Amino acid sequence: MKRKDIAVMARSPVISVALRILHRFTVLLVVGIFIIPAVWLLSISFKPPTEWQVFPPNLIPRSPTLDNYIVLFKPEAPKGTAAAMLRVTEPVTKSFLNSIIVVPAATAISVTVGFLAAYAVARFRIGGAFMPFFVLTTRMFPPVAFAVPLLVYYRWLRLIDTPIGLILIYAGFTLAFSLWMTKGFIEGVPRHIEEAAILDGASPWRVLFTITLPIVKGGLAATMLFVFILNWTEFLYALIFTSTKTITVPVQLSHYVGAVGRFYGPQAALGVIASIPVVILGYMIQRYLVTGFTFGLIRR
Amino acid sequence: MAPMTMPILRLQNVKKVFNSFVAVDNVSLEVAEGEFVCLLGPSGCGKTTTLRMIAGLETPTEGEIFLREKRITYLPPQQRGIGFVFQNYALFWHMTVYDNLAFGLRLRRLPVAEINKRVCEIAERFELMDLLKVRAVSLDLSAMQRVAIARTLLTDPYLLLLDEPLNNIRPGLREMMRADLKRMQQELRKTMIYVTHDQEEALTLGDRIVVMNMGRIEQVASPQEIYDLPATLFVAGFIGRPPMNLFDVKYAVEGGHSWLVWRQYRWCVDKVRDRIEAAHPENGLVLGVRPEEIKISYKAPGIHAKVVLVQPLGRKDVLMLELEGEAVHGVVPAELCINVGDMVFVEFPPERMHLFSATTKEAIVHGIS
Repeated sequence: MKRKDIAVMARSPVISVALRILHRFTVLLVVGIFIIPAVWLLSISFKPPTEWQVFPPNLIPRSPTLDNYIVLFKPEAPKGTAAAMLRVTEPVTKSFLNSIIVVPAATAISVTVGFLAAYAVARFRIGGAFMPFFVLTTRMFPPVAFAVPLLVYYRWLRLIDTPIGLILIYAGFTLAFSLWMTKGFIEGVPRHIEEAAILDGASPWRVLFTITLPIVKGGLAATMLFVFILNWTEFLYALIFTSTKTITVPVQLSHYVGAVGRFYGPQAALGVIASIPVVILGYMIQRYLVTGFTFGLIRR
Repeated sequence: MAPMTMPILRLQNVKKVFNSFVAVDNVSLEVAEGEFVCLLGPSGCGKTTTLRMIAGLETPTEGEIFLREKRITYLPPQQRGIGFVFQNYALFWHMTVYDNLAFGLRLRRLPVAEINKRVCEIAERFELMDLLKVRAVSLDLSAMQRVAIARTLLTDPYLLLLDEPLNNIRPGLREMMRADLKRMQQELRKTMIYVTHDQEEALTLGDRIVVMNMGRIEQVASPQEIYDLPATLFVAGFIGRPPMNLFDVKYAVEGGHSWLVWRQYRWCVDKVRDRIEAAHPENGLVLGVRPEEIKISYKAPGIHAKVVLVQPLGRKDVLMLELEGEAVHGVVPAELCINVGDMVFVEFPPERMHLFSATTKEAIVHGIS
């Protein structure tokens, strides 16, 4: 649409080219601003300790090193001064594995339950008009307020430091997001389309899976990515409800602190590694995301 | 033109209340097999709600609905065998035209070859063969309508319901699609109930018209009868463009004759005296006459009136006249060349006048002499 407008506006090819360059440049500028932190993270992850906080900062490491990455995986065989001072004894593989189990499972539960609940609420008014708000109350307290009572239950249920325990907490606390986001998408589907399917003879489940779900799959993908990121970066509950066996990546990240200060290098390296699953996921569902975010623009 | 055969659909005192709003009030209706019935009325008159109750998308608060003499009042919509064409066509726009058409047949678990055969048959008939692989989103409106109707026909419903299917379509194309629809209905002899707020659409399409207002049925009759013999004041005012002229008149008996009196004018109504007197004329009467029935000329006799506005409409002019301080519409042939400001004589032909009760709003008599 926009490109067409520009094309119409530009009568002469010179203006057309100029506009296109301007367009590209603006896009580049915006992308550049947003990508700076990521580039900085990447840069630090390859720097030796001496370069972590130098002023003026240098973007390209003067003496690039892989130490920061190596120390993540082999903490007991430290190389160089930085790693020697680390308290971390666990390699990052374990926390990474935990995160890889806990987060997708919690996300899947949250989005599935949230979507079905949203459908029930949006189409059948199950639970009454107040139900969605009731679910939202789980986000109306500071998370720490729930921590202590939950800790008591979890001790009794022996769920502390177990993947199941963390999965349940994550699924529960992101349910409100899943429900509200998918509810918006479902309500965007014209009711008549579903009614047409019903009159063609489709059962409610059939309508849900063959009509509504394919139409909102973009929105569902967006919701999934959003919830995944929330869970992937969650720190508080992971810290409180795990001790040794089930620590996740964000908790592991906080361990790279020595007696003399923070170890920016290994932290940056872990940050880079931790971003990879999110990037992969985002890339995988990219084509659905576009329809998800532009959902409102699709005609009825 | 009452249904001759056994009615395929029967509504019996159907009522629908939303919270405290009465959307449909005591509606009873019979539809014969093969009939094209139009539900006509202003928006919010309950016509769409009535249609949705027939389809099973709403449940009546009171009353019963029968389809082929079987009670379907509370039957789920899937089991009724009724097709519904929605205002926006409600195509499954994430699917191709073929999948849209095949949807209902696949649910019935027909063999693939059979589905293919039937889809192709109907696609042929509705000129959709070239579009079968196109996604429903990218169709034009005319094709969307054809897909929507074809899709509902494929499941072979007893009854086809259409909810203002031509509403969003630009004039021109609209008339074309209307003609298509009429032709199609005549070919298929499918029973159809068509909801519209457009009187022209209803008058051209319907075998019978059901005029609704405020949730109630005002009149059920053929298009000609609706126009010639409006049963209520509402129908009289709603049908016809420009609308019927209405005057508050009084009834008087003087010198052995009965009269309708309006200002200093009077009409003798001896012939219909009994009908008028039976309808409690003392409570007020309304006299109606259609603009196209008024005789307008430069020559006496008649009531003197001034032309306030002339709206040329091709072969005829629609006039607004000032008559005794009241605005009156009239239609004259364009050849008369009437101009704004002219003084003309207006005659109301008594045989074309309609008399209504001001209290019950019902017609008392059509033609007063």
